[in-house]
Amino acid sequence: MSDTAAHGSPYRIYWITWGILLVITVAMLAAERFHLPRVFLVLFLIVFMLVKATMIGGNFMHLRYEQRNLAFIVAAGLLVTSVILFSFITPESLSVRARRSEPAPAAAVPAHHP
Amino acid sequence: MHDGSHAVALESHWGGGVSPFGATWQKTMMWIFIVTDGLLFSGLLSGYAFLRMSSLAPWPDRTSVFSIPFIALMTFILITSSATMGTAVGASKLGDRKTALRFLILTIAGGAAFLGCQAYEWTHLIEHGARLTSNPWGSPQFMQSFFILTGFHGSHVLSGLVVLTITAIRTAMGKTPAQGVEMAGLYWHFVDLVWVFIFTLYYLV
Repeated sequence: MSDTAAHGSPYRIYWITWGILLVITVAMLAAERFHLPRVFLVLFLIVFMLVKATMIGGNFMHLRYEQRNLAFIVAAGLLVTSVILFSFITPESLSVRARRSEPAPAAAVPAHHP
Repeated sequence: MHDGSHAVALESHWGGGVSPFGATWQKTMMWIFIVTDGLLFSGLLSGYAFLRMSSLAPWPDRTSVFSIPFIALMTFILITSSATMGTAVGASKLGDRKTALRFLILTIAGGAAFLGCQAYEWTHLIEHGARLTSNPWGSPQFMQSFFILTGFHGSHVLSGLVVLTITAIRTAMGKTPAQGVEMAGLYWHFVDLVWVFIFTLYYLV
């Protein structure tokens, strides 16, 4: 990596990344204060969460200096599995919710009364 | 066959000719570990989504339960410790053992401060009646997710601190090769990465 000699401090990349991560974090905290429609807020937060994750993976964990296939297999593996996990597990929560909100089977109770 | 012009890795490839990732076996194994550990957290976060969406009791407003500036401070500490870790990895690659050791110690201090903040947060909430199965602010699933998510993350910070302490001692003795510091760094950055997801999905969304 010849860029270490070209740009003064070899540690510059880490502190630039640090600064960007802080700015994004502050922006995410500030976004909470504006009364955006919830869909936009959640979308904004998730997009910037992924940007932060990319900065950490690429610059801190050096994935941008590794062979492309390592970065691909890590990112794609985690992303695809997470999407599959999420999309198979969470829709069921709605039916659990619907069952929970049904009126309790209180009508059946008096039958047990002696 | 292959021209080999891209084979720039400095240390030994795994035996068997062409290395699929152009990385040492140590680094390849570390990445396999990180992916599987990442899947643990994607499972936990999916479970959290399930608990939250299926909860009938209202999901508490985060600002009424947590001090958001305090959470922001914890995030700041962890991001900063990741930057000092990166510097330590860079320094040990350049053979600058003194700088590497100094930044390793700073990273350990950051990790310990983060754990201290978390211990304070847990104590505070438990004193106010929060339990794994009950929550004075509303949905019990809220506290269940909180303790499980931050508990698993905190245990990773703790094990990261153990790894970093060993790495720092061995660096001071001149026993850790640059790659050893890099592996400890990969794990530490991973812990920071997981916090990015917990911070966004649990504290903000």
